Amino acid sequence: MITFEHVSKRYGERLALDAVSWHMDEGECVVFVGPSGAGKTTLLRLITHETAPTSGTVTIGTFRGARLPRRKRALLRRTLGIIYEDFRLLNDRTVFENVALAVRITGHFADAEVVPRTLYALEEVGLQQKQGAFPSELSAGEKQRAAIARAIVNRPAVVLADEPTGALEPASAREIVALLRRIHEEGAALVTVTTRPEVGEALGGRVLHLGEGRLPADAGAVRSPYAPPEAGDATAPAAPVPGA
Amino acid sequence: MHFYFWREAWRSFRHHQGLAWTAMISLTATLLLCGVFLLLTHNAESAVRFIGDRREMVVYLRDEVTPERRDALIARLTELYGTATYVSAEQAWEEFSQQIGDPQLLQAVDQNPLPASLRVRLRPELLNYPAMEQAAKQVSQFPEVEDVRYGGEWVRRLDELQATLQRGALVVGVVVALAMLLILYNIIRLTVIARRREVEIMIRLGASDRFIATPFTIEAVGQTLLSAVAALALLFALEQLTVQQVVRVSFLPPTWIAAFLGGAALLAWAAASLALARALRSAGP
Repeated sequence: MITFEHVSKRYGERLALDAVSWHMDEGECVVFVGPSGAGKTTLLRLITHETAPTSGTVTIGTFRGARLPRRKRALLRRTLGIIYEDFRLLNDRTVFENVALAVRITGHFADAEVVPRTLYALEEVGLQQKQGAFPSELSAGEKQRAAIARAIVNRPAVVLADEPTGALEPASAREIVALLRRIHEEGAALVTVTTRPEVGEALGGRVLHLGEGRLPADAGAVRSPYAPPEAGDATAPAAPVPGA
Repeated sequence: MHFYFWREAWRSFRHHQGLAWTAMISLTATLLLCGVFLLLTHNAESAVRFIGDRREMVVYLRDEVTPERRDALIARLTELYGTATYVSAEQAWEEFSQQIGDPQLLQAVDQNPLPASLRVRLRPELLNYPAMEQAAKQVSQFPEVEDVRYGGEWVRRLDELQATLQRGALVVGVVVALAMLLILYNIIRLTVIARRREVEIMIRLGASDRFIATPFTIEAVGQTLLSAVAALALLFALEQLTVQQVVRVSFLPPTWIAAFLGGAALLAWAAASLALARALRSAGP
């Protein structure tokens, strides 16, 4: 589903990623843990084609290539659900409108399609009571829930989360991690980058330590406990939630 | 086009009213200038057409021409150049007498010195100086014809005036079109910059350029159409309050108004497309 082959990314003199190779299958959960400046966000930006690799190849599903044309980049992003540390909600729209925007972007405009999908996503993240509120009226945790609802409303095959608990206090962080875990358990592949090792443990996925733009050599080998079951697989174990 | 895009355009208009009103005031002023020139051109062209309709060629006949040959000539001229009407020497004298008005002035004249003539009302395609000159030369070759008069000099001046008006309209049209493109181009770029964060988020969520651009385009075309209507209203008021007091002028006909509105909308669409193509490429990752 996602494959990095010897991917390097350089910003001027600084090497953000150094010949990184890794792979994940459908339904997997991969958590990249590393300190600030380790190249985690660059890695996510390469998946969303917000930036192009200096060398190497990034493949996401059927999208392959160093720099996709603008139209294909838009198509790719519509297949992903993206959660940002700073939420990136539109401040002049209600929670409902923020989430519904993601549905409309995929070309569905009729209320008969938009309204039920949006309400279902809001219900999943427990925000149906706040659907008419504007982002400025929400707590940080609620904003992140709204961002998650927007990310999952189109049922993407992959959800990307960039430091999803970075701006949250512990209780909200626990709720968000539990929510992400549930989304993954329902079948979505999950790629999370975080500075907090406990988030990786709580999500229960494959944890890859990213340091100074490098990954361990066996990054592509380990399977997620929540990956689609193979013959003989046991039920995935529950991991502790940070702060619980 | 889905209602969603109209709603988004209205939202953008409400949230950036300062920019929107600046754009509309600038556009109204520009379009009013264009409207004033269109009004002048329309009335000048109407006057020229009216005078042009009266352009006729007078063909003086020799005295010895028989009625049969005269009728044959009338048929031939009608076939080649336009409707020919016979004016006898007596009719010509009578018209001349009416124009002079004072019978005492005419008493000194013993006999009618005026020749019989044919008045040829020329076909529309001959109502220009080169064609009239050529027609006059050809008609003068007929043996029945003594002389041909067609007021060549003023016909030439009339044609020059018409050409000058058309060139002026073209120049003003191009200048106004460029001014409108410039105003709209910059206003739309400013609007995109003002909404940069929103546009960036939409790009990151996978919105196509068309999805993002459509509300901006609707807004630009809507503002331009409102400005064009305002300019027409101001032009009408201006005509009623000032020009009508001095000289009788007619307002723009419906076809010109439709062309004015359609042209403004088309320009707005072109400016929006140009501005958005550039602004969106630099707006997001």
